[in-house]
Amino acid sequence: MRRHGRVPARAVYARACDESPPNEPLTARRRCRVSGPDPRYSAWSLLRARIAGDGYWRPLWSGRVLADAYDVVVVGAGGHGLATAYHLARDHGVRRVAVLEKRLVGYGNVGRNTTIVRSNYLLPENHYFYEDSLRRWQSLSRDLNYNVMYSPRGVVDLALSDDDWPALARRGNAMRLAGIDAELLDRAGLERFVPELAPRRARRFPVLGGLLQRRGGTVRHDAVAWGYARAASAFGVDIIEDCEVTGVATAAGIASGVETTRGFVRAGRIVFATAGHSGLIGTMLGTPLPIETHLLQAMVTEPIKPLLHTVLVHVFPGHGEAYVCQSDRGGIVMGGHLDGFPSYTREGRWDRLEEVVQGAVDLLPQIAGLRILRQWAGTNDMTMDGSPIIDRLRYDNVFINAGWCYGGFKAIPASGSACATLVATGTAPDLIRAYRLSRFATGHLLDERGGGPFPVRL
Amino acid sequence: MNVPARRGSRLGATTVRFTFDGREYRGQAGDTAASALLANGVRLFGRSIKYRRPRGLFAAGPEEPCALLSVGAAGDVIPNVPAPQLALRDGLVCWSQNRWPTLALDLAALLQAGAGLLGAGFYYKTFMWPSWRSYEPMIRNLAGLGRAPRACELPPVSTEHLCCDVLVAGAGPAGLAAGLAAARAGARVVLCEREPVCGGELDFEGGTIGALAAADWVRTTLAELAARGARVLTDTAVVGGSGGLVIAHAEPGGVAGANAIYRIRPREFVIATGAVERPIAFADNDRPGVMLLGAAERFLARYGAHAGRELVLFANHDRAYAAAARLRAGGMRVRAIIDCRTEAEFGASGTAVSLRDQFRRDGTECLPGHALLAAEGGRGVRAAVIAPLAAADARRTIACDTILVSGGWTPLLHASLHEGGAPRYAPELGAFVAGAEPDWRRSAGAANGALELNNALADGWAAGARAARRAGASGDAGVAPAGRGDDAPRLVPFCRSPARRVDERRQFVDLQNDVTVADLRSALTEGFQDIEHVKRYTTLGVGTEQGRTSGVLGAAIVAELRGVTPAAVGTSRLRQPYQPVTMRSLAGDRVGAALRPARRTPLHDWHLAHGGVLEPMGLWLRPRYYRASGADAHAAAIAEALRVRTTGGILDGSTLGKIEVAGADAAAFLDRMYLTRASTIRTGRSRYMVNLREDGMVLDDGLVLRLAPERYLATTGSGHATHVLSHFEHYRDTEWSGRAITLTDVTEAWAVIVVAGPQSRAGLGQVLGAGWQQALARIAHMEFVAGDFAGAGLTVLRASFSGELAFELHCRPSLAVPLWQALVDVGLPPYGLEALDILRVEKGYLVGSELNGETTPMDLHLGLASLGNACVGHELLDRPAFHEPARRCLIGIRASDGCAKFLAGAQLVTADAQTRPCGYVTSSVYSPTLGEWIGLALVARRTAIEGTVLTACDPLRGGNTTVRLVPPVHVDPDGLRMRA
Amino acid sequence: MTRLVCPFCGARELGEFEFRKTLPEPGGTPFAQVYERIERPALSVEHWQHVEGCRGWLLVHRNPSTGDVLGTELLGGGPL
Repeated sequence: MRRHGRVPARAVYARACDESPPNEPLTARRRCRVSGPDPRYSAWSLLRARIAGDGYWRPLWSGRVLADAYDVVVVGAGGHGLATAYHLARDHGVRRVAVLEKRLVGYGNVGRNTTIVRSNYLLPENHYFYEDSLRRWQSLSRDLNYNVMYSPRGVVDLALSDDDWPALARRGNAMRLAGIDAELLDRAGLERFVPELAPRRARRFPVLGGLLQRRGGTVRHDAVAWGYARAASAFGVDIIEDCEVTGVATAAGIASGVETTRGFVRAGRIVFATAGHSGLIGTMLGTPLPIETHLLQAMVTEPIKPLLHTVLVHVFPGHGEAYVCQSDRGGIVMGGHLDGFPSYTREGRWDRLEEVVQGAVDLLPQIAGLRILRQWAGTNDMTMDGSPIIDRLRYDNVFINAGWCYGGFKAIPASGSACATLVATGTAPDLIRAYRLSRFATGHLLDERGGGPFPVRL
Repeated sequence: MNVPARRGSRLGATTVRFTFDGREYRGQAGDTAASALLANGVRLFGRSIKYRRPRGLFAAGPEEPCALLSVGAAGDVIPNVPAPQLALRDGLVCWSQNRWPTLALDLAALLQAGAGLLGAGFYYKTFMWPSWRSYEPMIRNLAGLGRAPRACELPPVSTEHLCCDVLVAGAGPAGLAAGLAAARAGARVVLCEREPVCGGELDFEGGTIGALAAADWVRTTLAELAARGARVLTDTAVVGGSGGLVIAHAEPGGVAGANAIYRIRPREFVIATGAVERPIAFADNDRPGVMLLGAAERFLARYGAHAGRELVLFANHDRAYAAAARLRAGGMRVRAIIDCRTEAEFGASGTAVSLRDQFRRDGTECLPGHALLAAEGGRGVRAAVIAPLAAADARRTIACDTILVSGGWTPLLHASLHEGGAPRYAPELGAFVAGAEPDWRRSAGAANGALELNNALADGWAAGARAARRAGASGDAGVAPAGRGDDAPRLVPFCRSPARRVDERRQFVDLQNDVTVADLRSALTEGFQDIEHVKRYTTLGVGTEQGRTSGVLGAAIVAELRGVTPAAVGTSRLRQPYQPVTMRSLAGDRVGAALRPARRTPLHDWHLAHGGVLEPMGLWLRPRYYRASGADAHAAAIAEALRVRTTGGILDGSTLGKIEVAGADAAAFLDRMYLTRASTIRTGRSRYMVNLREDGMVLDDGLVLRLAPERYLATTGSGHATHVLSHFEHYRDTEWSGRAITLTDVTEAWAVIVVAGPQSRAGLGQVLGAGWQQALARIAHMEFVAGDFAGAGLTVLRASFSGELAFELHCRPSLAVPLWQALVDVGLPPYGLEALDILRVEKGYLVGSELNGETTPMDLHLGLASLGNACVGHELLDRPAFHEPARRCLIGIRASDGCAKFLAGAQLVTADAQTRPCGYVTSSVYSPTLGEWIGLALVARRTAIEGTVLTACDPLRGGNTTVRLVPPVHVDPDGLRMRA
Repeated sequence: MTRLVCPFCGARELGEFEFRKTLPEPGGTPFAQVYERIERPALSVEHWQHVEGCRGWLLVHRNPSTGDVLGTELLGGGPL
């Protein structure tokens, strides 16, 4: 059964997943039934495509033409921009939505991270938000009809001294009270859960246990961008690549549209979801933001058979940090600290790569003989309290979804949904009310680490 | 089996025994696993990652995509070592990968049947129901190349720092010429060569350079370089770097040998890393027996190993004929040379023409305008299917056991494009070269597209001379020697043979990741048009070969499928490391106990010798408790704390941060840095002071001693000294620039011994002797006296963090042990951090868990009255959130039921909001003085009323405890004991 | 970028230095001084400290898009 037709059929979808109010996020939720774009992906579709030969598959999103005017222009076709556009179209019935992208769909941080998702945050404002996201991850493949490979393999924050227990317990207890899963593992528990770690091995900083979130894990990063792009496109969102926004035009005190490298585009509302370029957007609009842009590196080894079955987070004295997991392809994926100074180069410093590897080898000496195949870097929009900003920016109809620091990837599903609600209704849903820009001035800071107004910890 | 000894330029005579997949083979010294197995007739080296297709040896260097081996036995294996990179040694044990149960019979090879279903990105389209998790274990087991190591015993890797004028990566003809030119001009040269031997391909291509045979020129050049002081590092690949630092990795003994990392800081960098041969895609071009033409030449010349007996060559350039002649001379039979260039493109003159005529006379079919459409055979090539390009239906087969393919050369651009390079398409190469490079770097030779020997020499020479000049060498480099080698290849770009759509599924572009032309086509169909998208969607070029053989080929095929030029397609971004590097080498010597330096107090050895149980605190190691004090940590801590309250004890406080602040403006400066005034401290006295971060949060606390009118000693929390010092220095150099302030970190200049307890004064008096009696009797709380003891300076400060009468002794580190031992001898036993924690929580003193970067001075009830002092950070303390009823402030807590226990990290809730904590426990201890669990907490101001009953929720560690809020000072609230 | 030129110590590896912050427009409110940052594609004005050298604080001008250092000066009078 091969379907023809140039424009994918636009199925009618159920309106809006119900938003979880932050106070009671864990009530049973009605799952969105989404029939998905056309052709619908399944094992059968692979078979059909095999029989049909060429021409069965269609572009996931490309081939749209930039129109003169949109109800909403989303700037940036990364995870947040695409998810926002998707939810605007799906949940709020916004008909004319464009996502304008300087380079390529998913070229930024959504494809440059270490693929970890989790909701093990300390502050309620953060853990309810990230928990909403984690719940969306669980069903995202089916919602988007695109396999994003959510793998709940557990995330363990390791404890290296008795001084680490109170902070880990404080965080885990806060999560548990909010209905989010968390467990403290002592050494024996850790040994059972991650035998490959051999917690009893002599180390410079002995591993005593850890805080485990079993539902945390990994998601295939590129698939998230492509899945959202495809789903958004099916709802009629125009995704325009190679179209850089160079300015915002205003009229009568509000924004009237965006200047782009392809000309002027009128816009009812504008959303900036530009991740590492958000600081520049602030400067462009004359509104300096509490954001600095820093590089965050990641690296991967050659693929090997399964060795590590969870995600390990190793933060140790002397600026040491390494988080380690194994991709489904088999490569050991690692990341660590920021490079430590502002940069847009996306080329990480070598000594940081060495430091991350040191941390990883400290955890798993058995991987020392593996080879690093490649290293890459993303530009992270680091805020002055480590938490994001989803709010209006300068004009009533301009919004910014930024400041994701280390948490951007895992936040995508919740951020897209909540940001879309804010843009569509003009009112921030409870889930992101704390992420307002004014919090720095009012003192309602969301500083998970107590690091203060410096993205790079001294 | 008696095999006659092979002869090759890299072979020795000794026989080496090794095993592959459990079977013993013999090789010769100098062999690689690849050459030895090839010489033993082994064709099948592994199975592919996705379809499990049988795979053989394809290349002769790190670009090998298929023949990856696991080295070692049992769990101690190193996986994925390219066989051509694996130097043979006696007793070597290696294994093929990705097959089960055996290499020849692999059950998962049935997946091949599903090849049509498993196209690019198939996993994005299925495995969604019920969840990915239900398929993931199976997929993970099928994926991955080599075995997972369970252990890895490798020695640490040495690191060497090098500085030079000119660094040359690659010691082929261009690299050697560059090095020689630079050295002759007087530059200090370092040359890194990936191979164990310099000279690049001169060893089999031959030719002449200047008046010498190529091999002799290499020898004399190396000798001259050595004489001129150049350093030539063989087995050393340049792998990465940043900002002008270049990293080279030496792996002389293979992956398990004595490896080294060189951190090179060159003024100038010449990249002469050469070019890698790239294949042409045709159907079943992955069969064992299909090999790169240059690889066959290498195996023959260097190891005397024959790629096969009956060869068919498939190429698009003149070099193939010279190569074919050499292979034939080496004893292989060349059945046919398939040249995809037309007769017109082939031309009528040149060496290739005469070679072709000769081949034809000898019965070799030389077919211009033809393409090799497919390889026949399963686990080994049996025949080649060929057809004229003009009439692809007129196919016929030529029996052979080996197909050698060459589609041109791809300059290695990893280093050239890193940090500031941009690629440019060179149509004459059918590949990309560095179009723009930062001025301190220059690509040369084949890496720059100069494939012909004479051009490569000239290009290298010019690059070397330029680099030397730019680096400041003034000598005359002279002129480049002329070279005569193989003719220019006269290549006509050709990336794949014609194929029916169905056969595109068997045209492999990336052999390691099983990416076929059909996959590229499907990616394009699905809208992944950009090469970066194609790469990510199909996994093209993300394997261990890092795109060396697949990258440009893939881009060319994408260009063809899209109907655009390769220049319009471009290349995907190349990443460092330029060649895969073991994590062992990257970690260097920062492994095991050396991961981070350990800071030890002067009393470290004493603690160890006397049962001190040390734990890391930041980089410091400090005693938690002493084994002699009790059966376990808890009992010991209680005993130690009780001892301090009843008699006395001593604590090693040397980790205390100490910053000396001196100068005429020191007092005013400290007034600005601290919440309370330093200028009003009298000389000889100290004050408990708190400083704030710029945003108003408490940064640190400690005592500030006024040593002299213009000299203070500010103490900080352990491990905070560098942080606080930087903070002070920032203000010294900005707001206070030009003022007279000197800041010195004296943390390690003074050992600190805390003597606490009712008998501390008596014990101390006994130890310090008569000279100190008066001072000790007179000294008031928060006063200090400086004097000397045993001929060295000693400061005695009366201050207490335990609530007892206590003294801090600041002495020279050399004095610490004798003083400490003397105190122990007079009956003041040591106590550790656990006991200190009990004592300070009993007194409500703050530590890091309260000063956690989230608390304002108001939250901690600190110095509110003195905010007018204009301390750094005070400006931002008037933000409304800090004064709201929800803001958390410090308070004490106790279990309602005297014997109930609660722990730090428990969340506090009220009865009417069970899921929304109103605070949490920052510190908790069992108080032996009070006989119950006590603690400190941060609780919402509206709830923080003494007497309020809350629940301490600790689901992680066993449940809830009812607690009540009390004043934070649990013991001796009036401070009578410490003022005694 | 792995070297900065400390006016006091000379060119040193990046690892010896610590970046602290990018600077807001001068003369702003205390809040702006602490929280706001000016981000430009080709110019970043920053405070760094030569922590493993003279411990002087530096005013560094860099191009964050290329990593090039445009200038380095000592903020204070330099170490005594």
